Amino acid sequence: MIALVSNRLLIVTTFSALSKLKPVVSNVHLLTNEEWNEFAAIWQPFTAKRKTILTAAGETEKYLYFVIDGVQRAFYLKENADKDATLVFSYTGSFSGVLDSFLLQQPSRYFLETLTASEFIRTTFNQVNELMKRHHNIETFVRKSLALTIAGVLERQIELQSFTAEEKFRVLLKRSPHVLQMIPHKYLASYLGLDATTFSKLLGSVRI
Amino acid sequence: MQHYNTKKLIDELQQQTETFLEKAVSEWQMMSPAKLLKQPATDKWSFAQCLDHLNSYGHYYLPAIEKAIETAKQKNWTSRKVFTPGLLGNYFTKLMAPAVEGTKLKKMSAPKSHIPIADLNSREVLSEFIQQQEKLILLLKEARKINLEKAKVPISIASFIKLQLGDTLRFLIMHNIRHILQGEGAIEAPTITGEERNKIATSVSF
Repeated sequence: MIALVSNRLLIVTTFSALSKLKPVVSNVHLLTNEEWNEFAAIWQPFTAKRKTILTAAGETEKYLYFVIDGVQRAFYLKENADKDATLVFSYTGSFSGVLDSFLLQQPSRYFLETLTASEFIRTTFNQVNELMKRHHNIETFVRKSLALTIAGVLERQIELQSFTAEEKFRVLLKRSPHVLQMIPHKYLASYLGLDATTFSKLLGSVRI
Repeated sequence: MQHYNTKKLIDELQQQTETFLEKAVSEWQMMSPAKLLKQPATDKWSFAQCLDHLNSYGHYYLPAIEKAIETAKQKNWTSRKVFTPGLLGNYFTKLMAPAVEGTKLKKMSAPKSHIPIADLNSREVLSEFIQQQEKLILLLKEARKINLEKAKVPISIASFIKLQLGDTLRFLIMHNIRHILQGEGAIEAPTITGEERNKIATSVSF
């Protein structure tokens, strides 16, 4: 009986999670009902406490995550260095996981951890891969998602290399003001390639 | 002597640490240095000073706790269902307990090496505090696997006195509660209200 109840709870949780995933998918590429139903069937719920390493450097990413709640960060840890570099954040409504390691099925060079208690649904490479083989439309969805991701990464590359500290800070405030109250500023400073003191000064002086 | 269910005890210590970490990230990070550095009176600590005082303890205790956990792992002192505090550990923890409304907080003075200066870089202090609490969360996770009585941590002011790991964690987190409530009292419009404050002071059961 208990198993039945918790099973039902699991189904309800997954259902509400999938209803959050659907518009995110449709926004990139529209699937037919049948395709969506098959795509929706490959996700499992998963939760992790604060500061859990989801994928360590050297491991091959097993999962693609969709974030229902919480904040995560990917970071690179140089050998014998005392500071890590924050590469990217994920939060409610975004995909997460070490994407390159996942798609290429090769060891990750960096870590992925939760910064807060987090709730996800997740799926495996094999499941995604099978669906891509069977449905051209699902492969198109993945391709378009990747194109958008690459555009984002290159845009960030421009910002990192040619923006001043203040410009970087303003872009962050404009694009995602909510992160200031969600993420320790030390990680945000690292993400922008600023030192913590500069970040603090900008926080005190820049207002939009 | 009171006994604790080990899992429940660590759950509560972790929850308390989560609560402060959440406040630090979502609210205290956004406060101006002027607000964090405001002293209610010349002889009273600002919020930043309270956090700096806590950091000075974390600076000693977090590596000491990590070492105790390592030793326990090597010696295979695995976790037990029930935790019984030591006399000394209990005494220190109770000494740190914050005041409940209507009762008077026992006034104490900090050891010299833990007295914070007034002219602090408040954002650096807060950043260090957040980093330490994140570390504490990781250590609490590790502590779940080991015997909290057998693992021992030397205390900061007299290294020949050792506390059980479980007591060290209780003491450290109770000390956090005490000074965070004190520090919140130093700022105008505190993020922990009177009612919440009382709830924290009365609900801690470790």
